[in-house]
Amino acid sequence: MKVLMVDKEKCTGCHQCELWCGTEIASTSRELARAINEAPQPVPRVYVEGQKFALQCRHCENAPCLDACPNGTMRRDPETGLVYVNEPTCIACWMCVMVCPFGIINPSSSMKVAIKCDRCRSMGYPICAEVCPTGALSIVERKDYRKKKF
Amino acid sequence: MQYIIVGGSAAAISAVESIRSLDRDSRIDLFSDEETPLFSRVLLPYYVAEELSKPLLNFRPADFFETNRVTPHLGVKVTSLNGATKTVKTSDGNTYTFDKLLLATGGRAIVPPIPGVDKEGISTLKTMADAEKIYHMQGKRAVVIGAGSIGVEACISLTRRGIKATLLEQLGQVMPTVFDAEAAQIVRKRIEDLGIEVFTGEKALKFTGDKRVTGVVTDNREIPCDMVVLSVGVRPQTELAVQAGLTLGDMKGIRVDETMQTSTADIYAAGDVAETHDIARNTWFLNAIWPCAFEQGHFAGLNMAGQKTLYPGSYRRNSIGNFIGIPAISMGVTHAESCAMTSDEDEFREIRVRTKDAYKKLVLRNGRVIGAILVGQTQKAGLMSILLRKQVNVADSIPMLMSDRLNFMDLLPILRRNADQFSEPEYKELMDTGL
Ligand SMILES: Cc1cc2nc3c(=O)[nH]c(=O)nc-3n(C[C@H](O)[C@H](O)[C@H](O)COP(=O)(O)OP(=O)(O)OC[C@H]3O[C@@H](n4cnc5c(N)ncnc54)[C@H](O)[C@@H]3O)c2cc1C
Ligand code: SF4
Ligand code: SF4
Repeated sequence: MKVLMVDKEKCTGCHQCELWCGTEIASTSRELARAINEAPQPVPRVYVEGQKFALQCRHCENAPCLDACPNGTMRRDPETGLVYVNEPTCIACWMCVMVCPFGIINPSSSMKVAIKCDRCRSMGYPICAEVCPTGALSIVERKDYRKKKF
Repeated sequence: MQYIIVGGSAAAISAVESIRSLDRDSRIDLFSDEETPLFSRVLLPYYVAEELSKPLLNFRPADFFETNRVTPHLGVKVTSLNGATKTVKTSDGNTYTFDKLLLATGGRAIVPPIPGVDKEGISTLKTMADAEKIYHMQGKRAVVIGAGSIGVEACISLTRRGIKATLLEQLGQVMPTVFDAEAAQIVRKRIEDLGIEVFTGEKALKFTGDKRVTGVVTDNREIPCDMVVLSVGVRPQTELAVQAGLTLGDMKGIRVDETMQTSTADIYAAGDVAETHDIARNTWFLNAIWPCAFEQGHFAGLNMAGQKTLYPGSYRRNSIGNFIGIPAISMGVTHAESCAMTSDEDEFREIRVRTKDAYKKLVLRNGRVIGAILVGQTQKAGLMSILLRKQVNVADSIPMLMSDRLNFMDLLPILRRNADQFSEPEYKELMDTGL
């Protein structure tokens, strides 16, 4: 499957990805000026962490969130391998939050759903990578790290 | 290959998915004595609360058996198991043979031997039938006995339906196996704020009433009520295992090895019925929670289908979700003392931070996380979960782990030091970035 990679040399920690994700994906108005005043506040799905590194859901190979979700709300798209939240059925139990090793699922108590990056699966291309001014984010094929046995 | 799965819940369905990821063709027969298939037990309190209707309780689509080419036998109980002849007998009078069998029979709710417990209006909350019974009970006042997760959720569900509920717990705090006293105090306050009466350190001695329950007598008082929910725990359903002579553990669960195989070849067990190695406690334990059942089913399925895959072990994880208005998550052990098999050389530490709205606690054994409690701020709980699962030394990173600004990138030095343990691609590719 494909994964989103961050070039740490290029990421300047400017938070553009967070801002755009919060506006284009998370807000209802889709306009920055209005989005900042929306209630509940839009939740971006990407976190610029440790000063400068844009972190989103890593779409784990064996995703613990999939095993923890008690009603199949957390799903994997069989075609792309992307893990996503089927928001209408989410019961806000936060069992996925409890096990996500990257801590990138936001338990939104105001919206009563688990919010996380689905790499813009319905748009085809992630907004964060599109707007990054330095081109630090790119989509690449996941490397096969398993030792080959011959 | 002929697979037989006994049970149709978390562990069973997860095993089916894993078998099918490796073996598209072999025959799978699944037996469940509960007639409603594919529903999630975790959601039963939501059903009682009238927040979810039956179709919304499903954790897999209704055509699951069809798409996975499973022959379901619903409402059919497996009545005997013979490991030597590799056969099972079922309540519909048939005999089936198997090459590989999974016992995913789960647990049965404990009915405490309190005088009058067989009166009408008293129910456990374990099966769909239980949930329906409670849902249809008439009355204005309920007593819930046992303040574990299920008891607390049942109480809140009844309250949301306008029923006045009292929570009774014989130990000194609510959720005694999930939280320490401090976290329990925060949770208790929240429960009381919802209008629920909570009595701890108080035991139910008898139920009053003729045919129907009209009250609960405790060591301190009599609480009048129209219905009672019993939630004092579950016990593994091991009748078939006992019949087949499988080894049980000290907690009376079915002992399994790292491949989820029981003491008899080709018979596997997973979920609430299985006694596995607990990473946090460093001993055998029954961790009767959904994530463990699902994980174990996954490993059992892979091994049954011939791909040897070792289960790293279980550990308790509980999240109270949106039930009390603030998030609260707990995993592993709640106190250093709850660890069995401690040797004199083991060094335990507990670190706590309490602010007005939040509480965080870590329990360490020899510098490794064996327990965590997070109340209020919980988004990074999964970081503790992975550190617990991998048992890596974090002794020099405590201030960072306790900080409310902790984020995944802070863990990278720990991951690097233990690169052989973080071999999954999602970790490797981040380490590859050179951060
Ligand atoms: C009300 C409630 C709330 C819960 N909330 C949570 C929660 O919030 N978080 C969490 O992690 N866990 C929760 N749990 C626990 C969770 O539901 C269990 O850990 C999980 O369902 C275990 O799955 P399992 O497949 O091992 O067994 P079970 O779900 O117990 O299923 C076993 C099935 O096998 C069937 N069976 C048994 N013997 C036979 C036989 N001989 N023949 C045919 N069929 C048989 C049983 O009837 C049953 O349907 C909750 C449980 C309850 C009851
Ligand atoms: S939400 Fe977390 S656990 Fe689930 S796939 Fe994404 S990174 Fe992995
Ligand atoms: S919060 Fe939603 S997505 Fe997460 S485990 Fe619960 S139901 Fe599944």
